[in-house]
Amino acid sequence: MAEETKRTDDVSRRQFFTKLGLGSLSIAAVGTAAFAYQYLEPNVLFEPSPVVNAGKPDRYPLDSVTLDVNSGIYIIHSEEGYFSLSAVCTHLGCLTAWKPELGIIACPCHGSKFSVSDQAKLKPGEKIEGPAPKPLPWKRIWLNDDGDLLVDRSTDVPAMARDSFVRV
Amino acid sequence: MADSKDFIAGVDSNAKKSPRRIVFVTRRTSAQVKVETEDQIQTFPEVLFRAAVAIQVLAILLIWIALFFNAPLEGLADPSHTPNPAKAPWYFLGLQEMLHYFPPVVAGVLVPGLVVMALIVIPYFKVNIEADGLFLKDRTRRLRIFYVVASLLSLFLLFFKVYAALVPTLIMAGLMLFAAQSSPQSRSAFRRYLAGRPLSYWVMTWFLFELIVLTAIGTFFRGPGWSFVWPWQGS
Amino acid sequence: MAKTIDQHFDSLRETRVWRSIFRSGTGSSTLKRALAIQQNVFLHLFSTKVRTRMLSVSATWYLGTLTLGTFLILVATGIPLMLYYHPSAPQAYADTKDLQFVVSSGLFLRNLHRWSAHAMVFLVFAHMFKVFYRGAYRPPREFNWVIGVVLLLLTLLLSYTGYLLPWDQLAYWAITVGSNIASAVPVIGGKIHFLLLGGNAVNANALLRFYVLHCMILPLTAIFFVAIHFWRIRKDGGLYSHGSEPAVVRAQAASRSATEIPGGEKEAQ
Repeated sequence: MAEETKRTDDVSRRQFFTKLGLGSLSIAAVGTAAFAYQYLEPNVLFEPSPVVNAGKPDRYPLDSVTLDVNSGIYIIHSEEGYFSLSAVCTHLGCLTAWKPELGIIACPCHGSKFSVSDQAKLKPGEKIEGPAPKPLPWKRIWLNDDGDLLVDRSTDVPAMARDSFVRV
Repeated sequence: MADSKDFIAGVDSNAKKSPRRIVFVTRRTSAQVKVETEDQIQTFPEVLFRAAVAIQVLAILLIWIALFFNAPLEGLADPSHTPNPAKAPWYFLGLQEMLHYFPPVVAGVLVPGLVVMALIVIPYFKVNIEADGLFLKDRTRRLRIFYVVASLLSLFLLFFKVYAALVPTLIMAGLMLFAAQSSPQSRSAFRRYLAGRPLSYWVMTWFLFELIVLTAIGTFFRGPGWSFVWPWQGS
Repeated sequence: MAKTIDQHFDSLRETRVWRSIFRSGTGSSTLKRALAIQQNVFLHLFSTKVRTRMLSVSATWYLGTLTLGTFLILVATGIPLMLYYHPSAPQAYADTKDLQFVVSSGLFLRNLHRWSAHAMVFLVFAHMFKVFYRGAYRPPREFNWVIGVVLLLLTLLLSYTGYLLPWDQLAYWAITVGSNIASAVPVIGGKIHFLLLGGNAVNANALLRFYVLHCMILPLTAIFFVAIHFWRIRKDGGLYSHGSEPAVVRAQAASRSATEIPGGEKEAQ
C-alpha cells in the first residue's frame, strides 16, 4: 500500500462531511428563522385605521379643546389654527382628561399635567408636572377634499410648527 | 458443621455492590453462565443518525409535496346545503362504504368495535403465538372448519350483496385452499411459504385486503348519492 | 499564532460555563458515546448499546420512527397555525383562507400539516401491520401491542377532530356524518353525540370542543401513551431481541435439539 504523505492543510473525509453537514444545517436554520419571523409578523391587522375623521372645522369654536374618547385625540382650535394632540398619557398609557376650570390636560392615573395653551413658556402638550417622561405628541392634521378635518394618529408632527396647524 | 454438605456457598464480597449476592451451588451441578453473545453497536451515533436520516428523508418528501400540492378547501360550511356526495376522510371511507350495505349500528358501531376488540386481544391467544402453518396439523378437522366459516361468511356477504367485500373473501379463501394443498416440501417457494402461514396471518391478511378494497372503492368508485362511478368519471 | 475556528470551539468546550451545561462533552471514545446517551434527558430511554440487527431496514422499515417523525412535524406546524386561527364559526373559515392567502408561509404550513396528517394515519396502519407480520406482539410484548392499538385510535381521533377546524363544506359534513354514526351506538349513542358536539348539531360549541380536543387533550394523551410505548420497548429488550420472532424461535429450538447429546456436556454432571 502506498504511503500517504499528509499535508498540513489536508482535510479528512470525516471533517469534510462534518463541515458540509454543519454548513447546510446552519443555512437551513437561518432560512427557517427568517421565514418563521416573517410568518409571525401579521400582514393584515384587524384594527381600526389610524386616520380619524373629526368632522367639519366649524364644530370646534375658537379656544375650544375637544376630546374624542373613541380615537384618543384632542382637537384644539387656537389662534394659530386647528391642531391635534394625542390624549394618551406618555407615562403609562392612560386616557387623559381636559380640565377647563384649570385650563390644562390632566392624567387621572398618576397626576401628570400637560399644558394646552401657548402661555407660561410651555408649548401645548408639554408637561407641567408629573411622572410623564415626554410631552403629549402633536398629530398630523389636515383638511380632506370634503372639507373635513382628518387626523393621522400614527404620524407625529413637530410642536408649534407651521404645518402642524390647519388654517381655514 | 458436617463435612458432607449438600451445597457450598460463596459470597460476593465486593462491598461497593448492593445488594449482596450469595450463590448456592448444589453438589450435583456446576453453575453455568449463559452468555448472550451478539454483535452490538453504540446507540450514538449508529442508531440515532439512522433515525435522523429516516426522519429527514420523510420530512423532505412531505415538504416537497406540501410545496406543490395544496390542501383542499371548499366553500364555507353551510348547514342548509349538503354536498353530494358527502364523504368522510379517506381513512373512514371503508367504513362509509360499509354503511352503504348495513345499518349504522352494524357498519358504524358493531364492526369497528369488533375490529378494535379483535386487534387488542391478538397477543393473548395461544394460536397467535405459535407460528406453525395452519393446515400442517390436524388437517382434516381444520379444513372442515375452514369450509364452514368461509361458506357462511361468503353467503352472508352474498345475501347482503356486499360484492366489494365478497371478492376479497373469495380470493383469500382460494389462497387458503391452495395453502392447504401445499406443504413445506412443495417444489415452488411460494407454495412452501403459503403452507407455513399460521391462522393469525390469514385472518390479518384478509382484514388488510378488505380494508384496502373497501377504502379504494369508497375513494375512487363512489359518486353522487353514493352511486357507483368509474374513477375517470369524476365525482 | 492565530487559532483556527476548530481550536476556538475546542477551548470554548473547556470553559466552565460549557461544562456546566454539557457535562460529558462530545468525543468518539466508547465512553463518550455512551455518556452522550446516558446523560441526555431525551435520549437516556435508549440503552447505550443495541444489537446490530436492530439497524436493518427490513426489520421494521423504520415505520415506528417515521410515525414519530410525522407526529413531530405535525406539532411543529400545528402550533404556529394556532397563532392565526380563531376557533369560532364562521371566523375559522376566514382564518383558514387568511392562512392560505395573506399570512407569509401560511399556505406552506397548512399544506405540510395536512399531508403529514394523512401520512401519519397511513404510517400508523403500516406500522401496526409490520409489527403484526413480524410477530413482535408475542409475550412479553402483549401489552405494548394494546398500547399501540390505543395510539392508533388516538391518531384517528386526532385526524378526525382536526378535520373540522377549517369549517368548510368538506369539514362540516364529514363531521356531521361521523358524529351521526356515533349516535348509532345503542342506549348511550344519543348522549355520546350530545357530549361530543356540545349540542345537538355541529355548531360553534362543536368547533370549540373539537379544537380543544385536537390541540390540547388528544396530543397530551398521545404523548403520554407514546412515552409508555417507548418505555415498554426498552424494558422488553429493545427491537429485534431474541425470541421475538417465530423464525428465531424455531431456529433456536432446532439448534437445541440438534446439539443434545445423551449424557453430554449440556446435562448437569
